[in-house]
Amino acid sequence: MNDDIKELKKKFDQAGYICDDSTILTVYLALALHKPLLIEGAPGVGKTEMGKVLAEVLKTELIRLQCYEGLDETKALYEWNYQRQLLRIQMNRNLEKEQIKEEDLFSEQYLLERPLLKAIQAEKQAVLLIDEVDKCDPEFEAFLFEVLSDFQVSIPELGTIKARNIPVVVLTSNNERELSDGLKRRCLYLYLDFPEIKKEIQIIKVKVPGVADRLAWEIATVIHELRQQANLRKKPSIAETLDWAKALVTMNCTQLDGTLVADTMNLVLKTRADQMLFINEVGTEGIACILRQERSEGETCRCKS
Amino acid sequence: MPVQIVKEKRNYFDQNFALFVNLLRREGLPVSTTEIFDALQALEWTDITSKSDFKSALRATLVKNRRDHQTFDLLFDHFFLPSGNHENKVRELSGYKKQFEDKLKQANLDLQFKGEPLRLELRELEQYSALTAEQRERLQSFVRKTENGVNVEPQFKPILETIVKSHLRYCRQQEEFTSSGAYSAVGSEAGSGTGKKDLDLCELDIRTIKEADFPAAEQQLQQLSRKLAFKILRRKSYGFRYGKIDLRRSLRDNMCYGGVIFRLKHRPKRRTKQQILLLCDVSASMKRYSTFVIHFLHGLRQIVRELSCFSFSDTLENLTPELKGRVGLNHLLERIVRQSKNWGGGTNLGFALEDLEKRFPDYLNVKTTIVVVSDAKTIKIDQAVREFEMIKDKVKRIIWLNPLPVSHWADFRSIREISGLVEMWPCSTISQLEEVLSGRL
Repeated sequence: MNDDIKELKKKFDQAGYICDDSTILTVYLALALHKPLLIEGAPGVGKTEMGKVLAEVLKTELIRLQCYEGLDETKALYEWNYQRQLLRIQMNRNLEKEQIKEEDLFSEQYLLERPLLKAIQAEKQAVLLIDEVDKCDPEFEAFLFEVLSDFQVSIPELGTIKARNIPVVVLTSNNERELSDGLKRRCLYLYLDFPEIKKEIQIIKVKVPGVADRLAWEIATVIHELRQQANLRKKPSIAETLDWAKALVTMNCTQLDGTLVADTMNLVLKTRADQMLFINEVGTEGIACILRQERSEGETCRCKS
Repeated sequence: MPVQIVKEKRNYFDQNFALFVNLLRREGLPVSTTEIFDALQALEWTDITSKSDFKSALRATLVKNRRDHQTFDLLFDHFFLPSGNHENKVRELSGYKKQFEDKLKQANLDLQFKGEPLRLELRELEQYSALTAEQRERLQSFVRKTENGVNVEPQFKPILETIVKSHLRYCRQQEEFTSSGAYSAVGSEAGSGTGKKDLDLCELDIRTIKEADFPAAEQQLQQLSRKLAFKILRRKSYGFRYGKIDLRRSLRDNMCYGGVIFRLKHRPKRRTKQQILLLCDVSASMKRYSTFVIHFLHGLRQIVRELSCFSFSDTLENLTPELKGRVGLNHLLERIVRQSKNWGGGTNLGFALEDLEKRFPDYLNVKTTIVVVSDAKTIKIDQAVREFEMIKDKVKRIIWLNPLPVSHWADFRSIREISGLVEMWPCSTISQLEEVLSGRL
């Protein structure tokens, strides 16, 4: 690992984003090659957070484009300020002396910048976060090709606008639909999976100040066990782990027990079916058993080390 | 003039890299030229003496799908061996080659008729070598007995060859049917990585999924149906008036501004409805697949309304009302498995199609996509072909999901004939089901 990558990892750690070397290398390559970074993974594993942290690390502005069904160029790129143009015409009608030209109405002062144009025109290299790109229509995805490969946009009334600084582009996807090969080809690809227990303990400690070591370890263990439950509709994500940890710290807890887990499980499992599954298939006894087992293993590990 | 020998400077890295990309492509990874350039550029920024960094850089640039990560990792680990291991690997491979050649020679010696080896294809000789000693002995004994029989002429050789070939084919099918697959070894160990286990399960032949893994497989199917439903539901098309100003709505909306049109209203995209008709073979040979398809279908039906489902074996049964009633999955399976007359019967596709045309003609129109799930082992093949020819012109498209491997297709007349009329895809795993349907619905 070269010094730049080490430096980047250090900055990510300082920003509270704990990840493995492979992830850092991919981010570093995206920055070095000026390529968009496409991040896929289950909800809540830190895809959007990656964009935010990048903006923080690079000390630059974060411009976010939230994708949804029906999103089009007028909402993503630019739109003429029609109301303002109309008012200008109305005002001009009352002032008979002034003649208004068409060029006046289609100048930059009547242009409403949307996130894509804003990122291209930014004075300083910005981080452009195109969030949940799988939710937008395939037509819009095709439109993104031009922006992401040439970093320029064409406005018929004004001409082609080239990027002053090529933005750092981060695209996230929950994989609700397969993205086109064209878009994928233009990006570097990163898949974020749920972290291992050790990594998750680190994340809890960084993100939830005041959490006891033992509690962090127990939370990570229980979450890891829950993720192994094949029948869960939605596996608990890192975001849910952190919410749970914060709640337990607020309740001044220093260690878990079966009853406490059962009482606070609604912070982790967000559907009724999953909660029922937890009660029926794991239950307080199951949690107590997991914790007992892990505690004894943990103690053995500590003795060995 | 003396000939000047110029030592060619060979760039081993470029060669190896090209070979590796070629291997990825052969395994079905869509690596484009752009991605190769990206990978080479990325390597300039990477410490290539570190194997993990080298691997990560190649993975980020060449692989754009999570499912392909496993293939990539496997190929990478076998291709880029640590220095010193190459010679061992070459030795190991040449050992395999020699063993393989010896086995083929032995097969040719074992299967002889009147001093001449039987004319078998390479894959058939391979199959013979893979048989157990007992099976091989049985086959040899059969060949010897035939050879030494009374009034057996040399002209009998082609007949014997056909019999041996059929026997080998039968053994292969039996082997595939009873094998529990590679997952049995992997699945139990892969518990630590939640994602990895799911991926393994998706790649496994549905027939070989163990009962203990059913919940996980069903979960995968639910996810797949949600994903597909999302795609079908959001299907919209640009009408010729899309994007134009809708004057009526604009005027109405701007009455509050005294008739000055401040807010423009545009015509929205038109939603095109696609009708899907699923014809699910529930005959004895298809039971396991059909159960999984019904799981998938149930999930899909929760979201997509325009979905009809029929089961067939030697008769046709309409399951659409059950699906419309939003019944639970267990009830649906109970209804289909326990009460259906079709479940576990023989297959008469021709009759089922004829019945569909007669009793449910409204289902067959230009918006309909028919998805057939069957292994095409049907009686009355000619009738089935005739019916397909007629139905093909009435509907948008017919997609056939066949759980049999492609290598077996040529062995069945029904498949040979029907595959010329419909789009037939191999579909024996959850991954294949996803790949075929998400690309075509």
